[in-house]
Amino acid sequence: MTATDDGGLWVYAERRGSSFTPVSLEILGKAKELSRQLSVEVTAVTVGNDGGAASELQRYGPDHVLELVHPLLAVHDGKAYAKALGTAIQKAHPSTLLLGATRNGQDLAGRLAVRLRTGLTAHVTSLELDGGRQLVGWVPGFGGGIEAGITCPEKRPQMVTVRPGVFLAPPEGSPTGDVKTVKVDLSEEDVGSRRVSFEPKGSSIDLTRADVIVVGGRGTGGNFGRIEELARRLGGEVGATRVATDAGWVDRDRMIGQTGVITRPKLVLVLGVSGAVQFTVGIDGAGTVVAVNRDPEAPIFEHADLGIVGDLGPVVESLLRSLGGA
Amino acid sequence: MHIVVCMKVVPRPEEVKVDLATKMLDRAGARSVINSSDMNALETALAFRDAHGGKVTVLSMGPPPFEPYLRVALAVGADEAILLSDRAFGGADTLATSYTLAAGIRKIGKVDLVLCGEESSDGGTSQVPPSIAEWLNASQATYVERLVPGKHGTVHATRVLEDGKETVELSVPAVISVVVGSNEPRFLDYDRWAFAQSAKVQVWNEKELCGDPQYLGLKGSPTAVAGLREVKKAGRRRETVTVTPDEAASRIKAEIDRAKIARS
Amino acid sequence: MAQRSENPAPVRFDDEAWEALAATTNANLCFQCGTCTAACPLAENTPLRVRQLVREAQFGETDAFLWKCMTCAECNASCPRGVDIVGLVRTLRGREWRTRNVPKGLPTLLWGMYSDGNTFHLPPKQRASWMQDVKVPGKGSTLLFVGCAASYDPRAQRIARSVAALLNLAGVEYQVMGTEEVCCGEAARSVGHDGLFRDLQQRNTEAFRKRGVERVIAISPHSFDALKAGQSANGGPEVVHYTQAIEQLLDSGKLTKGSEKGTVTYHDPCYLGRHNGVYEPPRRLLELSGLKVVEMGNSRAQALCCGGGGGRMWMETPPAERPGTRRVQEAAGTGAELLATACPYCISVFESERGSEAIPVTDVAELIAGRVKA
Repeated sequence: MTATDDGGLWVYAERRGSSFTPVSLEILGKAKELSRQLSVEVTAVTVGNDGGAASELQRYGPDHVLELVHPLLAVHDGKAYAKALGTAIQKAHPSTLLLGATRNGQDLAGRLAVRLRTGLTAHVTSLELDGGRQLVGWVPGFGGGIEAGITCPEKRPQMVTVRPGVFLAPPEGSPTGDVKTVKVDLSEEDVGSRRVSFEPKGSSIDLTRADVIVVGGRGTGGNFGRIEELARRLGGEVGATRVATDAGWVDRDRMIGQTGVITRPKLVLVLGVSGAVQFTVGIDGAGTVVAVNRDPEAPIFEHADLGIVGDLGPVVESLLRSLGGA
Repeated sequence: MHIVVCMKVVPRPEEVKVDLATKMLDRAGARSVINSSDMNALETALAFRDAHGGKVTVLSMGPPPFEPYLRVALAVGADEAILLSDRAFGGADTLATSYTLAAGIRKIGKVDLVLCGEESSDGGTSQVPPSIAEWLNASQATYVERLVPGKHGTVHATRVLEDGKETVELSVPAVISVVVGSNEPRFLDYDRWAFAQSAKVQVWNEKELCGDPQYLGLKGSPTAVAGLREVKKAGRRRETVTVTPDEAASRIKAEIDRAKIARS
Repeated sequence: MAQRSENPAPVRFDDEAWEALAATTNANLCFQCGTCTAACPLAENTPLRVRQLVREAQFGETDAFLWKCMTCAECNASCPRGVDIVGLVRTLRGREWRTRNVPKGLPTLLWGMYSDGNTFHLPPKQRASWMQDVKVPGKGSTLLFVGCAASYDPRAQRIARSVAALLNLAGVEYQVMGTEEVCCGEAARSVGHDGLFRDLQQRNTEAFRKRGVERVIAISPHSFDALKAGQSANGGPEVVHYTQAIEQLLDSGKLTKGSEKGTVTYHDPCYLGRHNGVYEPPRRLLELSGLKVVEMGNSRAQALCCGGGGGRMWMETPPAERPGTRRVQEAAGTGAELLATACPYCISVFESERGSEAIPVTDVAELIAGRVKA
């Protein structure tokens, strides 16, 4: 396919359970915005063993919803999903395909790009038009220190996976667009993997994969109730220093540092922690570090983007108030 | 089983700079390391081989100075090493990279499993493993933390997803990407050092690879870099303030918003 | 108190394994008197029994509590037969690497030492960050070997800056390797990985040769001990600890006594004291400040280990088993105003395990840097 193809802007709406991944709606909103600039139509495309969830997508403003269905597509399989979506794309020639950079989204995108022999820009954190009809996706690399703007000048569709959380999902509106359900031509050989079991994310703690961690140390005086509340409001996990775990305030599996867990969250709030190197090696990989400590000389401030010098209690209470919610 | 582990040598992130005049990456003088999750893939492969038999071959693409890193993999426990090296492979994006690696795997011949790290620390696309799978028409499982043999020559892979852990049964050949930190890579064995230094690392160029030149290197890469920018200085901002609790809360709130935490 | 099982597993004999051990250690000399167990600071709070460990080795077996050992060498110092028990522990640990039966986290530690050149997994580029505004003469055949802790750990960096300031004060010519310095490998040796230890020593020997280094001043007693062993094996330069180097300056009259009042107690780091017999230089330096040195009951060759040696810095120790807490209590019990030592590991452990004791912990170099004159 060449750069002249224009069958509009497609958005892969990834199903999860009976609904869609949040990023699917975020990119649908972004697609609407781009479609106005490009004067093209937006198609939200789903893959599964049945249709039926389209009405939810319709509330986010697509011009069309396309449901690709087959009994073998009940559960995500990169191989089968790439064939289903690839075949539909080869028929309709969209100029652009946006996918959410979820794990299954990435699993599908990498395979699909090869199938379509086209360019793929992965994990973008911002997306803009280059003045014409070409998208520029900005991608962080090298530990986040450098961003590259990537384009796909000649091949179509231009494929982009978008990091969850960078665009806002549009507000729900009244349903728009038509719904088309297409039965995909698929056989057993097209399927590479079969789900044997699924264990939903439960109470097991995995600090290495947390996006947000609220860490309490000696300075909390053991008052972890408020730390837990803060972590809950932020959708994050509670972490602790060796002092806090030694004191029995928090379980050992939440200990961060040299003899604990090495974490790389997007954000870590470090509360009442002085910042010995045996602790800080466990948070040096974090995206943003915010520290609160009474002692202005505490070494933790050397490891923080933002350091607040002050008493922990009032800051935590203020923060909880400003976050609102239950 | 014959397991191929794809391994990438990456520059240390803190030593790469953008040349602001040319808008090009300046990696000259940057020290390199084996990509972190590729070491987890190697460990997965070696543990699988040690438990169930077979052979582990490491495969990389890059210039001749990458060869010593392949020898490290041999010292760690790999049986063979192959480097795909040719100027024609340079400038490759994920499409061309995955094509070149897939061509190397095809040339190796009978391969049951291809293991990769989940993503590289420099490009960070995580697209190469599923792309290799498509070129090879193999089955795939990405973000895997555990790999065991299944019935009738299949393998079972446990994938770490946003909402839980999924175990899938895969037909072979299969391409697997391994989650970073899913195991602790064994340390290199100095008793294997002599073997690792004297072993033949096969180096295959474009001619030996027998690939289709239209899919190689810069020519085979549909994406282009339109611009580069530095997003933050090395190290932390280290801004320290003494403010009222309310002011502190709003400053922290701003950091939370800026961190763009996803509901994924 | 932890107990061993009353019904231990049946005794096994592995002649081949014992012959290999007998060839590389002198554990054959042991006649099982048990003095080592009596001397071992871990016997009280942990299941480790050194006598039993040696006995099992004589059967070719590996003790289940092998990795608890801090290599503090109290056993070596007490053994009437001169058995090098610390050497035996390292050798036994080396055997475990071959079967990959090692505590979690240690392979990661070694990978960091191998590829980052430090024990923290931090970028080599940051290795000179301790220097801040310190001016180093950068010439001469003496090299200040900073070591990983004093290069990267903000707390220990203060020690490095103090040592540099003292050398500057006395007008000593010396160089540092900055971002090109690599780990001394002591942690690898302690956890029994001789291959990596020799590799890192070799890298250091080459760097020393290239720079024309004839004398190395080490900040950490662990670097001091490891470099001494490694460099003498490689025909490298003479190695001294900084307390020895500064003591010499004292004798040559390049530094003069301060007028500080008060008391300080001194903790002998195992790798400075028992392993290398350096007991007097740090005490003489403390007196130079004008402070009075008050001794703990367990001092010099009887000093109680902080718990950070033998690779224990990278293995978690349950609170009840930590000698560090006891040691700080002992120091506070002397009534001294300060606890001084001369090892970044000891300081780091004492700071973390001090419990409710408030006695300030400091390094000899830090303590005297502001208190003596040229």
